[in-house]
Amino acid sequence: MAQVTVPVAQTGSHRLRRIRSRVPIWHLFWLLIGALFFLLPVYSVVRFSLQGILPGQNPLHWYLTVFDDPNFKTSFWLSVQIALETVAVSLVLMVPTVFWVHLRLPGLRPVMDLVSVIPFVVPPIVLIVGLAPFLKTFSTWLFVRPEVLSLIYVVFALPFMYRALDAGLRAIDLKTMTEAAESLGASLPRTLVKVILPNLRAAIIGGSLLTVAIAMGEFTVASLMGFTTFSVYTYNVGTSTAYEGVALTFISLLLVWGAMLGLYLLGRGGGGAAAVAIKD
Amino acid sequence: MTTVELRGLSRRFGNVVALDHLDLEVHDAEFVSLLGPSGCGKTTALRIIAGFEWPDSGEVLVDGHDVLGRPANKRNMGMVFQAYSLFPNMTAQQNVEFGLRVRKQSRDERAKRARELLELVGLGTAMSRYPRQLSGGQQQRVALARSLAIAPSVLLLDEPLSALDAKVRVQLREEVRRIQLELGITTLYVTHDQEEALSISDRVAVMSDGRVEQFGTPAQIYSGPRTAFVANFVGTMNRLEGTVVSSADRIVRCGPVMLNVPDPSFNHLAGETVELFLRPEDISLELLSNGDKPPEGLLEGRVTSLTFLGPVTRVGLATDLGPLLADVSSGVALTLAADTVVAIRLDSTALRSIAR
Repeated sequence: MAQVTVPVAQTGSHRLRRIRSRVPIWHLFWLLIGALFFLLPVYSVVRFSLQGILPGQNPLHWYLTVFDDPNFKTSFWLSVQIALETVAVSLVLMVPTVFWVHLRLPGLRPVMDLVSVIPFVVPPIVLIVGLAPFLKTFSTWLFVRPEVLSLIYVVFALPFMYRALDAGLRAIDLKTMTEAAESLGASLPRTLVKVILPNLRAAIIGGSLLTVAIAMGEFTVASLMGFTTFSVYTYNVGTSTAYEGVALTFISLLLVWGAMLGLYLLGRGGGGAAAVAIKD
Repeated sequence: MTTVELRGLSRRFGNVVALDHLDLEVHDAEFVSLLGPSGCGKTTALRIIAGFEWPDSGEVLVDGHDVLGRPANKRNMGMVFQAYSLFPNMTAQQNVEFGLRVRKQSRDERAKRARELLELVGLGTAMSRYPRQLSGGQQQRVALARSLAIAPSVLLLDEPLSALDAKVRVQLREEVRRIQLELGITTLYVTHDQEEALSISDRVAVMSDGRVEQFGTPAQIYSGPRTAFVANFVGTMNRLEGTVVSSADRIVRCGPVMLNVPDPSFNHLAGETVELFLRPEDISLELLSNGDKPPEGLLEGRVTSLTFLGPVTRVGLATDLGPLLADVSSGVALTLAADTVVAIRLDSTALRSIAR
C-alpha cells in the first residue's frame, strides 16, 4: 500500500529550527546585538518616563502633562509646517536640476556630487553665521519668520535629497525614456511630469523622508534664530522637568517614526524604476 | 506620401568622424536598412533624422522640406529604440496612448487606436500589463505599436531586435516587415545584422566610416558588391588577388591560374592589380580518384576543414589560388574528409572584380 504523507501544521519549535537551519547562528547574534543597540535606549527612555510619579497619580502622568501643554501642539505643528515647506522647496529646486544634469550635462555630475556634500563638511553653526547676514539683507520680513528655517534646512537636506534623486535617475534609462517621450510629441516639462517623476517615486519619497527627519530634529539653527520648533521645545522642557522631557522625547520618536512609516507606505505603492524583462 | 533625403550630412564627435558627407534618398513607403559595423555612423544618421542629434553640416529633407530646425517632438516621427523604452509606470495600453494623449485625442479615440495597434502587433490580450510583466519581445512589440499610434510620417527603428533571442528576432523582424507593408509607412531601419537587413528591406545602405559604401536592393548588395568592404562585410566571400592580363578578354592571372572574369562591370586595364570575389556557394566540388588529375578548366584542391551548417557544409580547401571556402550540400559532404583531394569548379559568372 502506498504511503501517504499528510502535511502537519508546524509548531513554534519546528519553525524556529527551520529558521536556525537556514540562517547561520552568527547572523542571528549580530542581528540581536544590532537590535539591542537601538532598542535598549528606547526601553530606558520609556522606563524613565514612567518614574517620578506621586502615589495615586496616573502612570502616564508625564505624557498627559505633555499633551496638556499648548506649546506642545504649537511647536509640533510649526516643525511639521517647516518640514513640509523644506520638502517642497527641495523638490522644486532639486528634481528639475538633477534631471537636467543627468540628461544634458552629465559632465557636471562630479561637480554636483561635490557641492552636495558641502553641508556635511561645514558645521551648522558656521553655515548659520554665514547665512544669517545674507538672509537679513535679502529680506528682513523673511528673516523674522519661521519660513526662513525651511530655506536653511534645504541646504542641510541637500546631500540626502540629491543622493536619493541621483540614485533614482541612475536606476532608470533616462535618456531613452526621454527620447521616446519626445519622439511621441511630448515637451520636456511634460516628459518630466508624466514619465520621469512617476518612475522616481521611490527616490522622491526616500529623499523627502530624510528631509522631514532633518527638519523635525534640527536644533542648533532654530535655537540660535529664536524659533521654538519641536526640538527646541523638547530641549526647553527637558531642562525644566527631566521626566516630562524624556516622555516628550519618546512621543517625538513615535511621531517621527509614524511620519516616516506613512511616507514609506506611500512610496511602496508602485512606480518602481526597474522593469525586468521576462524571458521570451 | 513621405520621402526622406539626406544631403551631405556630416557629424564629428571630437576627432571621430561619425558621418562624412552622407547622401541617401528613401522613397515613399520604402523600407531601407542602414547596415554596417559598430561605429560606422548608422545610428548617428538615424538620431539626426529623429532630432536627437544635430549635424555639423548637411540637410535632412522630409517631403522636400528641411526638418533640422524642428525639435524632435515636432517632427512626427515614430521611433523604436534598441533599449527597452516603455514607460514602466504605464500599462501597454497607456504606453500606446501616450502620444495620442499629447495630441489631446479623446479617451474613446485613444482606447480604440491602442486596441487596434496592440492587436496588430499580436498583443490584444496584454493591454493592461505593465512592462515588467512583458517579455523583451513583447515590450518591443508594444514599443512598435506606440510609435505607430501617432501615425508618424516616418518610422525609425534603431536595432530594435538586437537584445532579443535569435528565434524571437527572426519572428519579430518578419512582423515588422508585414506591418510596414500593411501600413505603407516609409521606414528606416538600423542594424548590424546583415541577414536581418537583407531579408526585410526594399533597399540596403551598407555604411562604413560615416559614408554609404553601396546602396541597392538586397540582391544587388549580395550578388554585386561594388567595394571590397561590402564584399567582405556582407556574407562570406572568397577573395583572390590577381593581375589583369587582358582587359578586352577579361583575363586575370591569380598565381599560376588564369581566370576569365565575365563580370559586366569589369573595367580594368592590363597590368592593374584587382581583387576577385566569389561566394562559397559558387564553388562546386568533384571527387578525384587517387592520382587522377582534375578535368580541364577545374582546379585541384585538398580538403582542410569541414564545418557543418545544417543544410550545407562549408568545406575549407587548399588550392593553387590559396585557401578557398566552398559550400556543398551536407549529404555530399559525407563523402569528404580531411586531406580528400577534389576537383574544384569556380562559377566564373559569379566572379566579381574590384580594383585595389
